[in-house]
Amino acid sequence: MLRNSLILLVLLGFAAAVFPLVHSYEAKDTLTGVAEHYANYGKEEVGAANLVSAVVVTYRGFDTLGEVTILFLASAVIGLFLKVSETHTKDSRSVFFKSTEILVTASRLLVPMIMLLGAYIFINGHLTPGGGFQGGAVIASAFALLLLSRPQKQFSHKLISVIESISGITFVFIGLLGILLAGGFLDNHIFAMGKFGTLLSAGAIPIIYILIGLKVGSELTGIVRNLKESQKVG
Amino acid sequence: MVAPIYIIATLLGVAFALGLFGKKMNSMAGLLSVVALGFASFISLEWLAGFWLYDRAAEYIYTAGFKPPFSINLLMGKDEALFTSLINIAGFFGTVYLWDKLKKIGSNGYVTLMGMILGLNVIIMTRDLFNLFVFLEISSIATAGLIIFSQNLKTIAAGFKYMLATGIISGILLLGIIFMYYFTGTLNIDDFLAVHSLAVKGFGVAVFFVLISIVLELKPFPANGWGLDVYESADSGIAAMISAGTATASFFVMYKLLPLGTPQFHMVLAGIGLATFIGSNLMGLKQTNPNRLLGYSSIGQVGLLVTILGLSEFLGERTTFIAYSILISHFLAKAGLFWISGIVKRSEIKEWAVLRNNRLLLILFGVFIFTLIGFPPFPSFFGKWDLVLNMASNNQYFWIVGILIGSLLEGVYLFRWLGYALKLDNAEMPAFEVKWNKVLPIAVFGAATFVVGYFVSSIHPYAKIINYIPLAVALAFVLIDFLPVYVKNTLAILAMAYYYYYLYPTLSSFGAVFGAIFMVGGIVTLIAGYAFKGQRRGFYPFALMMFAGLIGLIEAKTTLGFFYAWEVMTVGSYFLIIRGKKSMPHALSYMLFSMGGAYLMLAGFAIASVGQFNLDMSTLSHVLVHPTWVFILLAVGFLTKTASLGLHIWLPGAHAEAETDVSPMVSAILLKAGVFGLVTLFLAMGDQLIGGDVSVIYLLGWLGAITAVMGNLMAAFQEDAKRLLAYSSVGVLGYILFGLSLMSHLGWLSAVSISVTHFMFKSLLFLAIGGVVWRVKTKEMYRMGGLIKRMPFSFFSVLIGIIVLAGLPPLSGFSGKWIFYNAVMAKEWYLQGALIFFSGMIAFLYTFRLIHSVFLGQLKDEHREVKEAPFWILVPQYMIIGVLLYFSAIPNSLLKPIGKIISPYFPTGGLEWTGQHAVSTYGYWNGLVIFYIVIAIFVTVLVWLIINNRKAQKVKQFNIVFAAERPFKPETSHYAYNFYAHYRKAIGILVEPKITGWWEGVAEWAHAMGDKFRKIYNGNGQSYLIHIMAFIVIIYLISFGGF
Amino acid sequence: MQLFSIEYISLVVGFLILLIGIWGILTRKNILKMVIGFSLFDTGTHIIIVALGYVRNKTAPILDQANLQTNTAQKIVDPVPQALVLTAIVIGLGVTALMLVYAMKLHNEKKTLNIEKYNDLKW
Repeated sequence: MLRNSLILLVLLGFAAAVFPLVHSYEAKDTLTGVAEHYANYGKEEVGAANLVSAVVVTYRGFDTLGEVTILFLASAVIGLFLKVSETHTKDSRSVFFKSTEILVTASRLLVPMIMLLGAYIFINGHLTPGGGFQGGAVIASAFALLLLSRPQKQFSHKLISVIESISGITFVFIGLLGILLAGGFLDNHIFAMGKFGTLLSAGAIPIIYILIGLKVGSELTGIVRNLKESQKVG
Repeated sequence: MVAPIYIIATLLGVAFALGLFGKKMNSMAGLLSVVALGFASFISLEWLAGFWLYDRAAEYIYTAGFKPPFSINLLMGKDEALFTSLINIAGFFGTVYLWDKLKKIGSNGYVTLMGMILGLNVIIMTRDLFNLFVFLEISSIATAGLIIFSQNLKTIAAGFKYMLATGIISGILLLGIIFMYYFTGTLNIDDFLAVHSLAVKGFGVAVFFVLISIVLELKPFPANGWGLDVYESADSGIAAMISAGTATASFFVMYKLLPLGTPQFHMVLAGIGLATFIGSNLMGLKQTNPNRLLGYSSIGQVGLLVTILGLSEFLGERTTFIAYSILISHFLAKAGLFWISGIVKRSEIKEWAVLRNNRLLLILFGVFIFTLIGFPPFPSFFGKWDLVLNMASNNQYFWIVGILIGSLLEGVYLFRWLGYALKLDNAEMPAFEVKWNKVLPIAVFGAATFVVGYFVSSIHPYAKIINYIPLAVALAFVLIDFLPVYVKNTLAILAMAYYYYYLYPTLSSFGAVFGAIFMVGGIVTLIAGYAFKGQRRGFYPFALMMFAGLIGLIEAKTTLGFFYAWEVMTVGSYFLIIRGKKSMPHALSYMLFSMGGAYLMLAGFAIASVGQFNLDMSTLSHVLVHPTWVFILLAVGFLTKTASLGLHIWLPGAHAEAETDVSPMVSAILLKAGVFGLVTLFLAMGDQLIGGDVSVIYLLGWLGAITAVMGNLMAAFQEDAKRLLAYSSVGVLGYILFGLSLMSHLGWLSAVSISVTHFMFKSLLFLAIGGVVWRVKTKEMYRMGGLIKRMPFSFFSVLIGIIVLAGLPPLSGFSGKWIFYNAVMAKEWYLQGALIFFSGMIAFLYTFRLIHSVFLGQLKDEHREVKEAPFWILVPQYMIIGVLLYFSAIPNSLLKPIGKIISPYFPTGGLEWTGQHAVSTYGYWNGLVIFYIVIAIFVTVLVWLIINNRKAQKVKQFNIVFAAERPFKPETSHYAYNFYAHYRKAIGILVEPKITGWWEGVAEWAHAMGDKFRKIYNGNGQSYLIHIMAFIVIIYLISFGGF
Repeated sequence: MQLFSIEYISLVVGFLILLIGIWGILTRKNILKMVIGFSLFDTGTHIIIVALGYVRNKTAPILDQANLQTNTAQKIVDPVPQALVLTAIVIGLGVTALMLVYAMKLHNEKKTLNIEKYNDLKW
């Protein structure tokens, strides 16, 4: 009881502490600060129609590299936590029931389409809402569907980690190219800027988004796979 | 110069690439990781060198080709270079240390580790707040991964608690960051620093959330239970990395964001830090698990660093020096200690005795402990000095008291632990496995403590003028420790002799007197060392270190130099004392009293330095603020070494349990350091009045007199011969204190001459009794007896020794006494004088008991074949006897020079010398005549006895029977047991160990407090979250004074 | 201050969800429910972030129409919080995934999800 009233007190205290934040809030009528700069010069400087993508991939590209790293680390930690063996011995019986025909067929139909959607999302990330993370997540959801509908199916850990690694290294490499060929680490001007608003524009952004898409897709898939593989009897 | 961005690119690129490595290529993956971390270390070290050696300008690294605030930028400046170097080096050596473990885990392990180091590098360098958040999360997730390198219930639970805590903390951080962006339209830290504060309260709250999250990352008391669990459960190699890496980087973030806080917040911060420092060390007292103990210490040290940051307004430009020297000490020591713990693999600090199986690790363990506490020559020593001095100059005494209390508490458990490792029995314990890849990092870090210590002292304006050569020579003896004892002993004597020869012309005044006691005394007692066989490992470095410290006291030109020497002496003597078989608890209490005394001195010197232009010793003579306090602090500091009543409880055990030649060193020589301090202090400051009318020196006179009585009384009731001598030292030092307090020519003449003769007779007695103990293997007097026949040379030494001690004519003790009573009469301190006179009577009791119980009476059965004490123990005794007889016959050879030294300070009331004839106001005395007269009387009596006793029948041993009944415990019915039972009945109440009891009560109370406090860490992860939230709310209330 | 404007409502709702999340974290004994509390806490923060980026009556920061490409600053909402929230979501995802794996492992050790049972380390 004492504990609960203490918690209540702490919660009330915290609520009171954040109150000035809410109280000082007022919706803006116009952009200020860095956002104003992005809005006015983003088109010339980065050349991505989707300003959010411009911020994510270029202006704050270093954050995004960190973000990818976080997923990568989370996946690595989960991997070492679950200690899933890479090769499968025959006696590792699965706890899953056999899937029905309908489920298998439907998933066969859906998986390529979901993947296609994912690819579309990350390839067009600099033009429309979306981007590498979103696309990668969609792709991973295709694999999640696959794993749920056909649990007996194994897919290669090796392939996942190779895609993950190669796309990661290339991301870093493209970043470094920015130092050599353009203004700094992760500068997107290493490729031609193209025509604003078209698929081949915004320099390295589409490339980076593709890499991120692949990397996020493979990382999330890896996590889901590892979780599934850890559900073994005995 | 390699651009710093390559640190990130390398670590990240290699981390990504590791995914390509299969299970079979683990060694390759490991090699690649080590190379990558090595390269990262190289880059940051190269920058560090560039900043230090070539004074480069700091360099910004822009990403994305845009200038900040529009893109994220990093900064590589002097600070960043230093901190990234630390992180990368920790990563590099950490990986080497974890080699086997990582190899077993595989590529995911390497990835996690690299991820952590990467994250820490970026949070140090980044100038973007949100970027800071992202990479903080990277290092948190990586840390959560590192914790489960060894998977068991404990690590998983600790890791989960860690995730819960950091989850909440980073959520709060994000909330703060996003609102800071909302109010300013930027995320760049430099922009924030330019904005500083806005009128809206919301901005202040947002900044508060950001800062409090960083504070929470630093594990403040009491919201830090999760951190402790991590330290306790994680693999030691990982804990090392968290303590050295994460804590270091988080500290730097706090340092970086500090200007965002208001001055009030800085004070709150300092308070949080101090509470953490004291609280954590208090709770550490009861801890017995080494890794959790190190966790407490780690958290405490970071608390101290936070305090320093919070107090930066007071510390000004010295903040960096102070914080960095303490931080680097902590970095090196904590990593080293965790690593050692990982090799020893013992979950109880008592089991660390097993560490003695590996000498190198034991030495490194000691080095790290002393580094952590802040002893010279390690960097934190200079940091703490500057910290306390700067706080004093700002009148911030509260903080000084807090910091010193916290440090003392930390000393308690660390030195207890060291004592366990050095002394507890390890016979039953299986040896531990030592691999070179685990020892290498520890050795490198251990060596680095010395290098950095030297470097830090070389950039400190006052530390750089200290003479480090004696200490270096002492340390060099570690390298030749494998040589046999006679070689090292000769080298040590030569080194001392050479140094004394070199120093002699520069010594003057009291320096010359005490220099002679320290150096000549040192050489004489070292001669006894030839009696030892084998290698006598670990003796010479510390013996020489003690003498280096002692001579440093005399050489000291500045208060820093004096304090440095004092601490060096303490370290050396601690290790000498703990060499005794049962010395563990006594060495600990010696160390704690020494630390306490040293901290009082530190505070005293700090206050004395206020408003001065330099730190010269002469500044003591014109202290500008609180001179009375300075005087009391310094005096009490010195009194801990002279073991005055109340502060004496460490002495008897420490001196009695010490080895044969160590006892004279610590009892006859070391105690004089305190006397030298008092002499220096009295001369520089003169008397001080408390509240305008009570003279401090008058009080010290009383203390001296009472100490003399009590010391002698306690000596009289001892069964243990060495303990008796130890208590007798307490008594004699009481005399000396009293003599100095007289503040007159004669008073000082007697005090200083007793200092000299006490050195001689106490060395003599300790060596002689030590020689007896060496042969009969017991220190208890009632187990001895009749040894005059077996050990006549020792008997003669003791005889001379006690005659001098008791102040009987003709020997020089008498001259001291004679002058003494003259001085008392002149001062008209009759009451105190009576006490002193009374104590002289008691001295007869114990000196009689000593010679009677040990040498007279019947020889014990088991001692029938006992031999005379070893030759080399007798040699110094007879050298001393020679000098004593010379001084006794011609007292003015000693007294005249001392009188000359005293005259400039106390010109009136001295002795008038005509030849051997001394005249005072109250009478005259001629040492030579008395010498001859007494010798004549003695010879007469002897001749008479020889003539008359020819026909006396000798009493055989078995002429005595127990009236047909054998007593239950024969030894307790021996006359020598409880020799002064009748006196004990009368005044025994005076010697009940009340003071010891009082100190024990203090210790018990502190332990009980610590035990009570630590119950808040109930192990429930949810409670820890409540602590965190409550902490935020409370600090919010304090910072804003309400909601 | 318009109390019932969309941005204000989302801000307040965001804070409410955040507080509910903290309440869950601090009071639920079940580890999974605590993790859900964390998710709520994250979600609340995300809503707040997006709300803070709102500019009254402006459109999304995607310049796919010609009229948006001139004088853009007057026409769109703040793109930065949207970028930040993306990052925050991904980080939250990683943390939540890891927490769930921890929960699973803890359950394997003691067959319970009660946080109070995992107090082997203390003092």
